[in-house]
Amino acid sequence: MSAPEPVALTASVRLEWPAFAAGRLLRRLTGASVGLIVPLLALAAWQASAMGGWLPPQVLPSPAEVTALLLAMLESGELRDHTLISLSRVAWGFGLGAAGGLALGVLMGLSRRVEETVNPLFVALAQIPPLGWVPLLIMLVGIDEALKVLVIAKAAFVPLAINTLKGIRAVPPHFVEVGRVFGFGPWPMLTRVVLPAAVPPIFTGVRYAMTHAWLALVAVELLASSEGLGYLMVWGRQLFQLETVLVAMAAVGLIGYLLDRALAGVEARLQRWRQIGAGEVGAGGAA
Amino acid sequence: MPHPGTLSLDHVGKRYPVHGGELEVLRNVTLTVDPGEFVSVVGTSGCGKSTLLRLIIGLDGSYEGDIRLDGARIRGTSLERGIVFQEHRLFPWLTVEENVALGLLRSRLPEAEKRRSIAEHIALVGLAGFEKAYPAQLSGGMAQRVAIARALVNRPSILLLDEPFGALDALTRAALQTELQRIWQAEGITTILVTHDVAEAVYLGDRVVVMQPSPGRIRRVLPVPLPHPRDRADPRLADLERNVLDELAGLA
Amino acid sequence: MTGRGLVLPALLLAAWEAAHHLGLSDPRLLPPPSLVLARLGREAAEGGLWFHLGASLVRDLAGFAIGAAAGLLGGLLLGLWRGFDRLVGPSFHAWKQIAVFAWIPLISVWFGVGEAAKVVFVALAAFTPVVVNTHEGIRGIDRRHWEVARVLTLTPWQTLVRLVLPAALPSIFTGLHLALIYAWLATVGAEYFMTVGPGIGGMMTEGREHFHMDVVLLGVLILGVVGYALNHGAAAAEARLLHWRHR
Repeated sequence: MSAPEPVALTASVRLEWPAFAAGRLLRRLTGASVGLIVPLLALAAWQASAMGGWLPPQVLPSPAEVTALLLAMLESGELRDHTLISLSRVAWGFGLGAAGGLALGVLMGLSRRVEETVNPLFVALAQIPPLGWVPLLIMLVGIDEALKVLVIAKAAFVPLAINTLKGIRAVPPHFVEVGRVFGFGPWPMLTRVVLPAAVPPIFTGVRYAMTHAWLALVAVELLASSEGLGYLMVWGRQLFQLETVLVAMAAVGLIGYLLDRALAGVEARLQRWRQIGAGEVGAGGAA
Repeated sequence: MPHPGTLSLDHVGKRYPVHGGELEVLRNVTLTVDPGEFVSVVGTSGCGKSTLLRLIIGLDGSYEGDIRLDGARIRGTSLERGIVFQEHRLFPWLTVEENVALGLLRSRLPEAEKRRSIAEHIALVGLAGFEKAYPAQLSGGMAQRVAIARALVNRPSILLLDEPFGALDALTRAALQTELQRIWQAEGITTILVTHDVAEAVYLGDRVVVMQPSPGRIRRVLPVPLPHPRDRADPRLADLERNVLDELAGLA
Repeated sequence: MTGRGLVLPALLLAAWEAAHHLGLSDPRLLPPPSLVLARLGREAAEGGLWFHLGASLVRDLAGFAIGAAAGLLGGLLLGLWRGFDRLVGPSFHAWKQIAVFAWIPLISVWFGVGEAAKVVFVALAAFTPVVVNTHEGIRGIDRRHWEVARVLTLTPWQTLVRLVLPAALPSIFTGLHLALIYAWLATVGAEYFMTVGPGIGGMMTEGREHFHMDVVLLGVLILGVVGYALNHGAAAAEARLLHWRHR
């Protein structure tokens, strides 16, 4: 299209279905506040149910009780302690697994022979979910920290290895040729051409790895732990104190979100060059 | 045969709200296109020619002035008005045949009639034999031909083309221009072609509408009183081209 | 897969077996492949294996079907109805941050530890990826294709069936593929935590409690095989149904 296309044009592309006139009305309300309607309604319904006694408090405690517990736990530092324990496990497990996955991915990516030899075994083992390893690991290393860290490490290992391999394979040959023309040896080639070019998919792998690591942490803490957010949930459940369970769930959700956001922030900074230039240099585009 | 329609634009204008005010993209466009006539619209970027086409096809409903087809004010999109975009916009999961059939989905013709029309139009654009091919298997030129068949299959009263050959290489473009001329002569349908290629505009059109930008409006309408089919080597075409280019240069 | 790929696993298995025969490893702690396979043979013949596997698979598929169907509906609503997206979108986005296993204690209180609870959990795990990918698939539809639908005056239903669903199908399949994997993970997880009833997860937990390492390893093997089968099945179905992309 030769004429400049203002943003206003795209708004009219949605179908004019009469049934959705109500949707159009909603669209007129300010964007952000619309998203709050459902949570507020849910909160209201929850409060009403608690006050009306529709469900026993063991099944659904009132918002007031949950808030009270949350404040108490924050004040006593209990919540912070459990959170830190969970976080430290994730840090160790993720660090271990991600580093290992990265290394394996790089090795397989750089050498087809290594890939052919190792990949089938890797894929076979990757099919088994982290949880599947738990009974085995319990018998081998017991139910201490080692178990948790290993399970989390396995969860982080797989996506990172896969994405690193894909990322390295996807480095446009154009870039490698440029390196060759300028006489890059293997080390500069790796550090100045291959790895930087592979960063986007590798980072996607990092984010997946974090998500899976956090998920594995929760699972393994539910199964076999005496501290941490997962343990809090089990404990609350045993005692039918659902307030504890709910507070822990909220914490799990929040921390998971924050971890992902933090990584997204790092990703954005590492890839600032993508925003600055228009489009991608190299694969067929103009320099 | 499709019945060719009369399109009348009366003081058509279009404004967009932008940061800090309004952008006037079209102003006072008045033009009548006679039944069966081929009108080319040329102009540089920003002269609103594509916007004008979007108004006529009904993708944008808010404008000033009047747009009428055969005397009736246009409302939204309709099978009476067909369009070929710059991108072929074929659905990649449908075959050539199925893509063309899409144009008849809303038509009330009996199945047999539809099938006949589809086959006819595929043959009309020179793609007989390619009915079962997928868009991914076609060249750019072939895909654009399918788009033309899709636009014509329901026999609209008017055909709009928005820089239809802009994305193709020069050789394919020339071939398709000749094709378009042949198809237009065979169907006799009222046609409006928007392009920035002056040679194309003069080669195909009965009249060339030269537009100027900021805001978009008609600068001049130049007749091309040459009979169809035309010969590219005709010196009169070259003269007319120069006239149009002078008009456009006068805006520089 | 070249011959090279089989070398490493074959060597490992051989070394494992050899270690047993040389008395280097304790068969209770690390039973060799031969014992695991023997156990496989016994369980398969006596029917215990099929019983557990069947129970797990039924739960898996039931939960997957429910979660995927609901997810498809949710994703369609979010993608097609702007108002719904703005209303429910942010809440859903927040809600899906909660790691899926964190729901187990709550579900076990609300639904007990029987079949219903497990299926609910599996459905939950399958729901999220389907919604997210369906939503993305619809949002990713080229605006220019929407215009073609308008220009050809297609009705909303025709647009849904002939444009939206086919165009979003690749993403929808990605979502279903992920949901299949997550559902299987959730099935095994549910069986660990809600130990009432048969299932592979339960079989493995029991094996561990009775120190039957061969049962545990057998379970691991089965998990791997089923995971592989699901993965490949999904990929193959995707390839067939989306053949128009790859011509």
